[in-house]
Amino acid sequence: MMKEKDFHLCDPTWCSGCGIYAIFSAMKKTASAMELKPEEMVVVTGIGCHGRLNNYLKAYGFHTLHGRALPVAQGVKLANKRLKVIAVSGDGDAYSIGLGHFIHAVRRNVNITYIVVNNMIFGLTQGQTSPTNRKGFVSISTPLGSKESPLCGPHLALVSGGTFIARGFSGAPKQLNRLIEKGIRHSGFSLIEVFSPCVTHNLMNTYDWFRKNTFDVDQEEGYDPMNREKAWLLLNNKQKLAMGLLFQEEGPSFDDLVLTVKTPLVQGEMFINQNKVDKILNKFE
Amino acid sequence: MIKDISVMIAGKAGDGVLFTGNVLAKILKRQGWEIVTYRDFPSNIRGENTNYTIRASLKKIHGRADKIDVLMAFDCDAIFQHIQSVADGGIVLCEGSEVALIKPKDRSAKTFHAFPMRTLAKEKFGNEIFKNMILLGGLCYILDLDLSIISNVITETFLKRKGKEVVRRNIEAIHLGCEKAKKIVEKRERHLLKRKKDVNKLLISGNETIGLGALVAGCRFFAAYPICPATEIWQWLIHNFPDNKGLVVQTEDELAAINMVVGASYAGVRAMTSTSGPGASLMMEGFGLAGMTEVPLVVVDVQRVGPSTGLPTKSEQADLMQWIHGSHGDFPRIVLSPGTLQECLEFTIKAFNLAEKYQCPVILLTEQDYGQNYRTVDKFNLDKIEIDRGKLLTKKDLLGIKDYKRFQFTQDGISPRAIPSMKNGIHMVEGNEHDEWGYRDETSQNRTKMMEKRMKKLDSSRKDLLLPRIWGNKAAEIGIIGCGSTYGSIKEAMDQLKDKGIEAKFLQIRILWPFLDKDVKEFILTCKKVFVVDNNYSGQLAQLIQSRMSIQTELIGILNYSGHTFRPIDVSEPIQKAL
Repeated sequence: MMKEKDFHLCDPTWCSGCGIYAIFSAMKKTASAMELKPEEMVVVTGIGCHGRLNNYLKAYGFHTLHGRALPVAQGVKLANKRLKVIAVSGDGDAYSIGLGHFIHAVRRNVNITYIVVNNMIFGLTQGQTSPTNRKGFVSISTPLGSKESPLCGPHLALVSGGTFIARGFSGAPKQLNRLIEKGIRHSGFSLIEVFSPCVTHNLMNTYDWFRKNTFDVDQEEGYDPMNREKAWLLLNNKQKLAMGLLFQEEGPSFDDLVLTVKTPLVQGEMFINQNKVDKILNKFE
Repeated sequence: MIKDISVMIAGKAGDGVLFTGNVLAKILKRQGWEIVTYRDFPSNIRGENTNYTIRASLKKIHGRADKIDVLMAFDCDAIFQHIQSVADGGIVLCEGSEVALIKPKDRSAKTFHAFPMRTLAKEKFGNEIFKNMILLGGLCYILDLDLSIISNVITETFLKRKGKEVVRRNIEAIHLGCEKAKKIVEKRERHLLKRKKDVNKLLISGNETIGLGALVAGCRFFAAYPICPATEIWQWLIHNFPDNKGLVVQTEDELAAINMVVGASYAGVRAMTSTSGPGASLMMEGFGLAGMTEVPLVVVDVQRVGPSTGLPTKSEQADLMQWIHGSHGDFPRIVLSPGTLQECLEFTIKAFNLAEKYQCPVILLTEQDYGQNYRTVDKFNLDKIEIDRGKLLTKKDLLGIKDYKRFQFTQDGISPRAIPSMKNGIHMVEGNEHDEWGYRDETSQNRTKMMEKRMKKLDSSRKDLLLPRIWGNKAAEIGIIGCGSTYGSIKEAMDQLKDKGIEAKFLQIRILWPFLDKDVKEFILTCKKVFVVDNNYSGQLAQLIQSRMSIQTELIGILNYSGHTFRPIDVSEPIQKAL
């Protein structure tokens, strides 16, 4: 029987009240509830406050470059499909510098889980405007207010062929646990964006702000997450932001399609027998 | 008797220049000749001028020749562009009407055979494209090429992809050209090429060789973004990986490619990416990540002409400094520079062993010339492939380890490596500076120790590195230094110099980093004059040598940044002039 503390390496040092504590806790809870083993779990992070997460979590961890968590995570999973691979990024990592990788990872649909810690600010670099900020957002990088439109990760995932799109909130930990577990169980790329307030640099998008500006589809009777059109309409609402399991579609993952042999690549035979080599060389004669 | 012959096929992209050349190369190879091909084509699919030279020789050759002996011209442009490269006594096969337009000076000492290839193609096959096979048929008559071999080659090339009918029509076109030539070409104008037995030779490109090398080295993961002239490595792997349980992934860009390979390699599978030009620049970031995280990484850079998009389909050696000094920060890396096909194979296998042994990125630095052109090589012996995974731990090894440190300080700087899924091996891999366990540690004490740990990994690597080779008479006072694909032109230039009574020796540098100062210095000190052959503008190899030693000897640069490789004469002439 695994316990939460089996995944706890040391106490984090994020700012007190930071939304990411809830994510850290949800990951440990989910991992223990699912009876995962720390050695079979690989947590890949990018650059930002979230990047420290795998320094505190007991599992194999890879802290990569800014924006490159997804390519590394996909490489890990494809090399050893038996691993549970969870990539974690901030909104800058996922939607700014790593946006290209994000969209392509969604459409590639490798069987990994991606948690995007969306605090609507660049926290680690002391509070610049993020791609997820609304127009007019004032920060040290946009003192006269942001002139750019906000970017919506779940929306982009939906139009890029996403097969699991969910949004949680650090202020709603039970739902977050549920969403992360569902995401890990999903066959294919699962996106869980988490509204995670930054208590130091973003005094606008606070816990209260998120409570007032979101609505939870998990609470709505009759919401069908298999319906792509409904999810689209839901995400079109830019005033009230949708939370919960927004969309899910069953089907084969990239791994299912390309890794048709049972053995993971990492355990495959490295030597090629002489017959095969001869056959290959004959083509050049 | 002809011992060495270069046939240039020239026309427009879309004329089948490449195909015709590949068929010709294979025919000559099967007649027992040594082959080197030379592609000169634009970054364009149809419409622009393109040419492809097939050089065949009875002795071992490695690069293109000084002159062309036969020009097969599909149009006027082809003649105007290349007539001056045709050697005296050379032959031009062309439609015919354009001959009158050539200046008498350029026409002299050459034989023109007017060949109504377009008319014939249209009349007999209703399609002008067959002109290429008709002209090839003409060449077959002149050079007395074996028609049965030709039929086999055409069948092998087309049967699977295009079916019997296409095979039949192409063979028919060749026969038609051959018959026509009997009427046009006089017997004394024929040059009957010797037919030898084709024993144990392969006709293969450097890119295909590297793909093969990766496969037999146990590489089972490859991720890349399409880019000329590296794509053939990928193409080869995509056909050969599925049977051998390997995976090829097409990524969204080179950033993803290198990072995905880092991820796969970290998870324990041998992994590689390949690129060129701008792709190599994009990979600089991930290159540093592999250096910092000590993840084994193999990158092939098939160098093309830069900067920026440059000349995407042409050869240069201008990425040396980028890989030796590139990415921000200091970290150990190994840069290999193969000079022959055999070395392309050996160095690829070696690259994987070095990457795992020293837990650092290894760059296989080749050029478009070696990448895309075909050469004959003695059949590779792949019986005894050595796979050395270095300090990779097994699950069993880890059972006895209580407090596993992935980045443990060791005497040689190399730490035992566990991979995900191994119990007791759990660790962190950090792009940030980290402690022995892999967790972030920014203290200057740790930083200093970690930096020294990483940097000293290659201190004891000499035994595993590829020492430079010295060719020619060791007592010669003229020294030539080169790396990579300049090998062939330098060796032939030495022969040309010898014919003129000048003895030279050649230091072939096969590993650019770690730089083997001692060996290079020793060589230079035995020379009175030293020439460094660099297929780039700034003399990157010469700069590298100068940066590593204090010597009185002047290094005379022989440079070429024209988009072409050196011909032997491009090396021998400057040396003669400088003496």
